[in-house]
Amino acid sequence: MAHTPSPGSTPDTSSLPAAGGLSAKGLSAGSIGLLGATVIGISCIAPAYTLTASLGPTVAAVGTQMPGIFLVGFIPMLLVALGYRELNNAMPDSGTSFTWATRAFGPWIGWMGGWGLIVATVVVLSNLAGVAVDFLYLALAQLFNNPDLADLTNNVVVNVVTCLVFMALACYVSYRGMETTKAVQYVLVAFQLLVLVWFSVAALIEFGNGAAFDELAFSPGWFNPFLVPDFSAFAAGVSLSIFIFWGWDVTLTMNEETKNPKTTPGRAATLTVVIIFALYILVAISALMFSGIGTGELGLGNEEIQGNVFAALAGPVMGPFAILLSLAVLSSSAASLQSTFVGPARTMLAMGHYKAFPNRFATISPRFKSPGFATIMAAIVAWGFYAVLRVLSTDVLTDTILTLGMMICFYYGVTAFACVWYFRAEAFASARSFFLKFLAPLVGGVILSVIFVTTLIDSTNPGYGSGSNIGGLGLVFVLAMVLFIAGVVLMLLQHRANPAFFQGKTLTKGTSTDR
Amino acid sequence: MTRVDNYVVAYEATERGNEAIELGVALARLTAAELRLCLILPRSSAVPAKVPSSIADFDALLEEQGRLWLAGAAARVPADVTATTHLLWADSTSEGLIEAAKQFQSDRIVVGAARGGILNRFSIGSVANALLHASPVPVALAPHGYHAPEKLTRITCAIGTRPGWEALLDSLVALSNGLDVDLRFVTLIEVDAAHGRPAHPKPHPPHVPHDPAAHDQAGHDHGGADHAGAAVAGAAALHDSSAHAGSAAHLVAVLQYFRTRSTALGTVTTEVGTGTSVEAAVETLGWLPSEVVIVGSSRLARPSTIFLGITANRMLHGLPVPLIVVPNTHAHPAPPTRVPPTPAPPARTR
Repeated sequence: MAHTPSPGSTPDTSSLPAAGGLSAKGLSAGSIGLLGATVIGISCIAPAYTLTASLGPTVAAVGTQMPGIFLVGFIPMLLVALGYRELNNAMPDSGTSFTWATRAFGPWIGWMGGWGLIVATVVVLSNLAGVAVDFLYLALAQLFNNPDLADLTNNVVVNVVTCLVFMALACYVSYRGMETTKAVQYVLVAFQLLVLVWFSVAALIEFGNGAAFDELAFSPGWFNPFLVPDFSAFAAGVSLSIFIFWGWDVTLTMNEETKNPKTTPGRAATLTVVIIFALYILVAISALMFSGIGTGELGLGNEEIQGNVFAALAGPVMGPFAILLSLAVLSSSAASLQSTFVGPARTMLAMGHYKAFPNRFATISPRFKSPGFATIMAAIVAWGFYAVLRVLSTDVLTDTILTLGMMICFYYGVTAFACVWYFRAEAFASARSFFLKFLAPLVGGVILSVIFVTTLIDSTNPGYGSGSNIGGLGLVFVLAMVLFIAGVVLMLLQHRANPAFFQGKTLTKGTSTDR
Repeated sequence: MTRVDNYVVAYEATERGNEAIELGVALARLTAAELRLCLILPRSSAVPAKVPSSIADFDALLEEQGRLWLAGAAARVPADVTATTHLLWADSTSEGLIEAAKQFQSDRIVVGAARGGILNRFSIGSVANALLHASPVPVALAPHGYHAPEKLTRITCAIGTRPGWEALLDSLVALSNGLDVDLRFVTLIEVDAAHGRPAHPKPHPPHVPHDPAAHDQAGHDHGGADHAGAAVAGAAALHDSSAHAGSAAHLVAVLQYFRTRSTALGTVTTEVGTGTSVEAAVETLGWLPSEVVIVGSSRLARPSTIFLGITANRMLHGLPVPLIVVPNTHAHPAPPTRVPPTPAPPARTR
């Protein structure tokens, strides 16, 4: 175990036996019960934010089959998460796609795995901030009864500057090492669930009154994912579904923190996904029944509203209570924005530590004990990405979500294959390890690869996503390529500046049977 | 000696942490105590984010960094002082320090109080502030830019007249037990510049001869007039008013109480600081670089915890030397009988 700084690797100067009663580990052990873990799971998914960002693009891809695609899209997520949990148990000292992929495949693929995770996070940060900006102005417009305020978000300068403010605040909170307290999490989650159910019921009542925008009668066929017209649409839908369940896997890896590590994570993950399924299906069906899939003003097929559906539907569906939905999405995305900073900052810190990134990324703030430099870099890059895209794209939110789906497929895929490869020596040792360490991650990885390649090819079409294009190539494709090529270039530059990581001096390749 | 005193030093790899070490060293030299250099790391909890935040990776790296920091901390301690280093995880820094003090049965927590204070004066940071509200053991606060002197030569005890001052004296007796260190007792008088004139021109000597018996009674004149837990006899008087005299007289009672118990070897003096504000009163007293101040905690505190009174808090802002705040361990009940009302001017209880 030369690759990780285990507690014993440096001389322990705290030799006093009196210190024994203090927790030697950073995790607050045994503090989370089933309810707490479920609340954390739902917080991670941030359903209010996720739905507003994904309903439009999903309808654009698969139309009325959205409920079916949501169900199917969970399968690869589940399969990968199972492998993920095995890796987490086998290498408790490390916890990112970067370290796992490096251990399994060596430095080059490991580097790209880490890069994929960082890029996905930076993209979601910009999307979260973008949604927060829209809903801030919408909430202000609703509060002051002045629709002009909502239009401020369409002013590029105002929008980009407001986004910067959100980023800076979230970055500051993370830099200070502050965490959302449990009580705040509970309130935010309860509020989101309540308002989303309210929205759905209100939409169904409008439908019942014949007051829906574009009445569409419910059909059980919506649950059949195989009625999607072609495979490209199916792949795009699954890619988006992975985005909507993104974060769910966190519940599975909460071991030591839970009151009963044997049962709590599994039960919490199940409970979380049942709640999320019920909620997503309810909102998807009610939104379809109210708005239809046309391209009319409130139609889910309308490109103008696709990137942020609730912003358009809140008023018509909920009337005077629309501000509740605005607040739910605003709080959901703002809280998620803040907590999401922690992930890429820590991954960059780890990469800096193992010499895969410049040393500065490895600095820890002595006062706040947070990855200071990495946190600030994440904020700058995420904001820069958003600002550039805001100028280039006609619908920045839709395009970032599509890019994001691809990036998640990439790093989840790398992680899934890392699991298969790392455990290859014990894959057939027992039925359990065959299923959890080999079959599940392998199938999950293959599905994700197919989805990834399909969406990558489809996105070359200039009509893909918002229809923005550069030189006849779809903007989403260009974005993905720029991000990947930037990764390869940075990797080569780092190799040149400091080859230690790439020579396997800091993190060594190995398998589960090495120790 | 069956047991060596030990002090928890709240370390972080910043100026504040270094100042805490300096003060720890100074105090350890005075009392031949050992230092426990403690670095508190934040205990992570599951972060509700879409991206796994790699708690394990981060904690391992943080721990490694923490050990490097502690090695640097140990290197700052001179050879004549014994120090051990400890890496601890806790939900908050102050919680971790208090827990460490309990585990090590420490006699004191030493913390760098200042951050960006002006002119070497105190401005209390959040950790010090949290400790002052909750610590069961005395908390020593190092001012900004503090450096340990070769030897601490004087302990100044700022003392109020409120019931409970005996507890502070008891801890001072314990602290100075057998030490060759000068002791100075001070009270602070806040005069009201707006009113200017002393309400009671009855002459009193400005300084009290060190003759305990003569002013035993007068010491209680303002028993009800000073601030909770603070070292101030507040009074709207300017010159040699009864307030000043009362404070001086109180010091005599203090001296008497102290002398019957103390075994300290240095000289003992008393002083009364007067000013338009607590800060100004602190300014009028002379301060040595090689001294520390000791005050009691507010009576508002729960038993055995510190709560810094308003006046002591303001006093801190004017203070250029380290301050030790002692928790109110054995709270004496207020004396039931009031001293006949010498019509004292109303106290300013800000």
